[in-house]
Amino acid sequence: MTGRPIISIAGVRLSFGGVAALDGVDLEVPEGQIVGIIGPNGAGKTTLFDCISGFRRPDSGSITLHGSPQGDVELTSRAPYERTALGIGRTFQNARLFKSMPIRDILRAVQHDRMKRSGFFRSVLGLGGSVLDEQEVTDRADEVLELVGLSAHGDKPAMELSTGMLRLCELAAVVAVRPRLLLLDEPSSGIAQKETEALGPLLRRLAEYLNATLLMIEHDMPLIMGISDTMIAMAGGRVITVGPPAEVREHPEVLTSYLGAKATA
Amino acid sequence: MIHTTFSILSGGLVAGAVYALLAMGLVLIYKATRIPNFAYGGMASFLAFFHYNLVTGRRVSLNLDLLYLHIHGGVTVHLSFWAALPVTLAAAALLGWFIERLIIRPFAKASMVTLIIVTLGLNLLLTAVAEQVFGTKDLVVSNAHAIFSRSPVLSLGGVNFTYERLGVVAIVVVLSAGVWAFFRFTATGLAIRAVATDRDVASLLGVSVRQLSVVSWVTGSMVAAVAGVALASIVISSNPGLLFVLSIKGFAAAIVGGMVSFPIAVAAGFGIGIGEELVRQTIVQHDTKLYTGAPEVLTLGAVIVVLALRPRWIFKGIRDDEDTGITGRGGGSELFLVRWIDPVEAYRLLRAAIPTTSPGLRRTTRGIRIGVVAGLALFAVTFPFLPLPAFWTLPANLTLIYLLVVLSFVVLVGWLGQISVAQGAFLAVGGAGVAVCANTLHLPFPLPILGGVLLSIPVSILIGLPALRLRGLHLVVATLAFGLAAERALLPRFSEGGVRVVLPTYMRSDRALYYFFLAVTVVAFVLAGRMKATRVGRSFFAIRDSETVASAYGIRPVRVKLTGFVVSGAIASLAGSMLTYQLGALNAGYGSVAFSIEWLAYSVVAGITSIAGPIIGALFFGLYPELAKSTVSASNISHIQEIFAAVLLIVIMAVNPEGLASMSRFVRSRASAHEDDDGASDAEDLAAIEAAATAERHLEELPLEADADGDIDAEEAALSGAPS
Ligand SMILES: Nc1ncnc2c1ncn2[C@@H]1O[C@H](COP(=O)(O)OP(=O)(O)OP(=O)(O)O)[C@@H](O)[C@H]1O
Ligand SMILES: [Mg+2]
Repeated sequence: MTGRPIISIAGVRLSFGGVAALDGVDLEVPEGQIVGIIGPNGAGKTTLFDCISGFRRPDSGSITLHGSPQGDVELTSRAPYERTALGIGRTFQNARLFKSMPIRDILRAVQHDRMKRSGFFRSVLGLGGSVLDEQEVTDRADEVLELVGLSAHGDKPAMELSTGMLRLCELAAVVAVRPRLLLLDEPSSGIAQKETEALGPLLRRLAEYLNATLLMIEHDMPLIMGISDTMIAMAGGRVITVGPPAEVREHPEVLTSYLGAKATA
Repeated sequence: MIHTTFSILSGGLVAGAVYALLAMGLVLIYKATRIPNFAYGGMASFLAFFHYNLVTGRRVSLNLDLLYLHIHGGVTVHLSFWAALPVTLAAAALLGWFIERLIIRPFAKASMVTLIIVTLGLNLLLTAVAEQVFGTKDLVVSNAHAIFSRSPVLSLGGVNFTYERLGVVAIVVVLSAGVWAFFRFTATGLAIRAVATDRDVASLLGVSVRQLSVVSWVTGSMVAAVAGVALASIVISSNPGLLFVLSIKGFAAAIVGGMVSFPIAVAAGFGIGIGEELVRQTIVQHDTKLYTGAPEVLTLGAVIVVLALRPRWIFKGIRDDEDTGITGRGGGSELFLVRWIDPVEAYRLLRAAIPTTSPGLRRTTRGIRIGVVAGLALFAVTFPFLPLPAFWTLPANLTLIYLLVVLSFVVLVGWLGQISVAQGAFLAVGGAGVAVCANTLHLPFPLPILGGVLLSIPVSILIGLPALRLRGLHLVVATLAFGLAAERALLPRFSEGGVRVVLPTYMRSDRALYYFFLAVTVVAFVLAGRMKATRVGRSFFAIRDSETVASAYGIRPVRVKLTGFVVSGAIASLAGSMLTYQLGALNAGYGSVAFSIEWLAYSVVAGITSIAGPIIGALFFGLYPELAKSTVSASNISHIQEIFAAVLLIVIMAVNPEGLASMSRFVRSRASAHEDDDGASDAEDLAAIEAAATAERHLEELPLEADADGDIDAEEAALSGAPS
């Protein structure tokens, strides 16, 4: 693998009851790339994201984030919101957002941690820079709305959006946080095929806009093959192979486990 | 020593038997339906009233006095105790069926918070109906009508055991064995256990979840009848409020059993009963005044501690409620009215009739809104100079206080998505703070109010702490424990001795006090509105909608929740401070759990997410009844208003959990949701993605790779050629 890694995962194991969801994952994600993760259902992809973003704690192993404002940081003992502050952003497989809030408010809410001049009293009374904070946050919200093309829908509550628009909104939200490492869990799931084709360029552009590393799980092969610089194949809680997309696709184990599992599904 | 032991055993076993019985019914219903039934005390109480009315042959009357409508009627039936019992059980079965059919079923898919509010509302409804129909708050069971004879059957260590007490314990033991056998050996029992373990798997196996729900509500209601009848006899004088409190202890026992285990729940019920009796006989008797409420505080405190430690077995059977907020589409789709009226269709017709999108109409609605607000403001400011009778001043001031009470619920339940039934306790805390600051510290006038608010902060944090670990059902039980502790231990201390606070002379005129309260209320609302619109408010909404997602975006659930509890507690205790000055002393009626639940219901009906909600709530449920009270003689007070509010609560939770204040928004969203069903969503999706693709053009500062650009062109071509 080329390039400096942004995150190193070493020997991560996690089991639910008797099932080993992650069975010793070792991985280095090169900084600045778009990295795709493929694997059959139940391969442990989402669980890996949960471990990186802090929603699950590995039974053993370490996860280290490199080059954060605090230098290299070992993540496993940190709460999810701390990891967000360190520059890790994620989306969820089932497109989860704050369902009752209007989109623009969601995009402002996610920048909560950036509003350093808006403590409780300052923001309620409108004093000491909190007005400026509000303005900045609103401007950024409008900017990312435009980036994903949802400007016209800013006032709609999230629950009134279709799945496709919710996905876009979720992308906008995670971009608004300005992460260095962006974890996307099946950004194309639940949206129509035609829309999926437009998604690739958008994702690429978002990564460039943020100047971030993009790590994404995806089942849509054309999409992920089209935009990944590097691809990772997982199965049974392990990483099978890492490499350029074309190589990974032809890897014999990938052909059997991934495509085989697809056929039976 | 032996005497004490037996006396503790005697009292404790009987109390424990009742808790065990209540816990059993709660577990039965929870196991099959996953519904925490906070109406269980109300059901038991209603059925006990029903039974003893038959036994005493008292007249059951139906008196309706609504404006110009006067209906008076009544029946008298007289039966012996054991002849009445089957009738009561049949009535219980009917009641259970009725509740399941009309009230529970529409909420099949509702969130835990919704279910809690609905069953609390149902409790309110049953209580009010019981008072309306049976004409009294208290049920007194004379010796002649006791379930078993009250004469002693044996004496141990100088303690008499009566037939009644032993009989009730025996009933519980027999019933527990019966229920246990039911779950072990009958097909229905096994099916309920299957459902409790895994609903989806159970329904795959052909178990009808619906049918089990009916069965469990009917049997649960019959257990409630037995519990109510036995309990009313044992305590001699009971009322719905008492039964509600006892059912909370039943809840405590059920929770110890993880809400699913009968043997543990029954054992825990007996344990709580004996523990309380132990405390009562060893501590309280030393100094009744000092240790008022000690048994309740200790048992309920123990429950909170157990819950906070989160032992695995308790949380095993509980459904994991991630998103517990009450907003969103409640159980609307299965509302029982759907049979006759299709709400979606009705809204569509409505929408066809009213062009909601026309700018003209939007201007008009906004015009109306501004007009109403301006009118209210004008009235509020000029009111003391209007030629109204003098008795208006008290209702007016109380209305301002109610405004703040509802606002505190809006902040906590509507915005933060947490549920608490301890808000009444904050009124008491505010009052206590005022009393201490004014009488002990001798601070000059407005300062004690500030003192009341400051005192609420540590209390809020204390009440908020369980909320950091608990959700839904457990949180309610924890706040109930706090509320009951305050009601039993704090209030008597401040209200019995007649702690009086005195206003300074310049504030004693009605107008001066009214304007002062008005100013304070307006400031509180303006600040709350500011909070809603800025960073803090948004973090509340985020936590309400999903804690997981919020923490994925860097919002800290712990900090945000505590902030919300503190803000809401401060508002409620501000109301309490004002109330204490208004009434001249702390009033116990406003600090009770019953008061909190009632006002939670009113807040939900009025609109729990909107700042307009408190205005509607305070006017309809505060001003109007206060006025009615001042004009109608006290003996004539009808419970129709409470009944009406409770029914409205349930309907509103089924139709639109955001309440009256946001009905117009709701109509709009329903209408647009319907459009989506017609397939408009796909077109919108495409349009959005297309816009995303073209938006790129306008952001020229971004370096775009040639091949990416090419992709987009090809994409656009494909999209524009696509039929929409
Ligand atoms: N909360 C949980 N409790 C028990 N087992 C779980 C839990 N979450 C995941 N698993 C198990 O862990 C394994 C990995 O799941 P994971 O969700 O990570 O798979 P995935 O690769 O994301 O699959 P998919 O493509 O379906 O999203 C699966 O066998 C799954 O059943
Ligand atoms: Mg997954």
